[in-house]
Amino acid sequence: MPIPAPDPKQVALQAEDWIEYRTGFATLIRKFLFRKVPPTGWMHTLGSSLLTVFILQATTGMLLAMTYDPSPNGAYQSIRYITDQQTLGWLLRGMHKWGASMMVILLFLHMGRVFFYGAYKYPRELTWLTGSLIFILTMMMGLTGYLLVWDERAYWASVVAVNINGTAPVLGPFISKFLLAGPVFGAQTISRFYALHMLLIPGAIGALIFVHLWLVVKLGVTPWPSRPLPEPEPQLQPQAGVPPARMPETVAGE
Amino acid sequence: MAEATRGEFLSLTTIGLGAMIGGVIGVPATAYLLAPVTKETGFEPAFLGPVDKFTSEQKFDPTPATYVEDAENTATSSGLAYVHYTGQKNTDWHAEDAMFVVFSNRCMHLGCPIAATPGGFQCPCHGGVYDTNGERTGGPPIRSLDRFQWEVRKGSELWITQRWSTDIYGGMVHYYPVKMPGQPTHTPGPGWIPDVLYPHVTYTHGPAPGPVPLPKA
Repeated sequence: MPIPAPDPKQVALQAEDWIEYRTGFATLIRKFLFRKVPPTGWMHTLGSSLLTVFILQATTGMLLAMTYDPSPNGAYQSIRYITDQQTLGWLLRGMHKWGASMMVILLFLHMGRVFFYGAYKYPRELTWLTGSLIFILTMMMGLTGYLLVWDERAYWASVVAVNINGTAPVLGPFISKFLLAGPVFGAQTISRFYALHMLLIPGAIGALIFVHLWLVVKLGVTPWPSRPLPEPEPQLQPQAGVPPARMPETVAGE
Repeated sequence: MAEATRGEFLSLTTIGLGAMIGGVIGVPATAYLLAPVTKETGFEPAFLGPVDKFTSEQKFDPTPATYVEDAENTATSSGLAYVHYTGQKNTDWHAEDAMFVVFSNRCMHLGCPIAATPGGFQCPCHGGVYDTNGERTGGPPIRSLDRFQWEVRKGSELWITQRWSTDIYGGMVHYYPVKMPGQPTHTPGPGWIPDVLYPHVTYTHGPAPGPVPLPKA
């Protein structure tokens, strides 16, 4: 008697169960992607747009790093090679370049949305703080990435940027020397900027994105900052020693 | 001696071991990263050109001369100096009637390259203006142009041997250890204030030479 063909749906469910039993991934994904949210609009898509652009930057950056040569005599040549000769190099470099601007623009919009919705308030202060750190680190990505093109504009813009750091009192000159890896722009400056740009800062941003998302899922999405018209309340005299009743902001989601 | 349970002892041991591992990784990593901040570098003497290349100047029209501090890294260690011929004969760079004044082309606002003009120097980035002594006359720079100490070698070769920051006040050119652009060498009040607020970290050198009067107009 022939064995009946297995039902593909059953096989898939069994596979999911097998993985779920050993890792809990299915629960994790369900809680992350299928969580309940309050009525949202386009403004709530800015954060996930940012995540998408970050993934785009990480992917294209990784690919560009395979060809890029972070040395004073080779950097510009390797950029020329990526742009003019490598298959689709112009496209990947263009995506990375425009993606960088896009990330900064989306960051400002996202921060503006959070600010004007009052979404930084209790209990989401730490979400705002981790977001602010991501903002600062993204600015540092812009600074360190700008030099890597190693043309005249990149060089002199970075000279100016490092010297602006140097005008800070007391620590400024040391920060400049730290960034330049020496007293003036030298052979080590570009490799230092490169290592900061592709290892240290993106690693820190990735870790902070994890914390940021953890908090977003844990605390839920902030609803629109609208509230119904207050109903006329019965006039009560405050009693001595009893603090007024205070409700936390609506916490949606779980 | 205080008693500790087995659990407390193991917790403390784990924390101690963790701190040790952190130190073994963290201390050398920090020292490695910060090494360039404390490392001291001297200015490498550089050849500008034969002396007679610079002596044809009539009105103020300083001759640009490129130089290379580190021959292995021409891409980053090249610089531009402006050699101004004063018409005098003295080859002592520090004398009042010195033959040349060698200016750095680094703007003292934020380090852009300046260009010579009939009236002095101008910076294309943010509009800094300097007169023929390198003294700031307009725009955002906060002090006068750096100058190079120079000497004539083998009778006919012009070399720069040291770099100094300058500030011009009281009719004198005052010399200071090199500071980065945007950092004051001289402020009103006690002399240690600019040195504490803006320590000079660029080059190591000996004591700065004394002030020299400006040439008579």
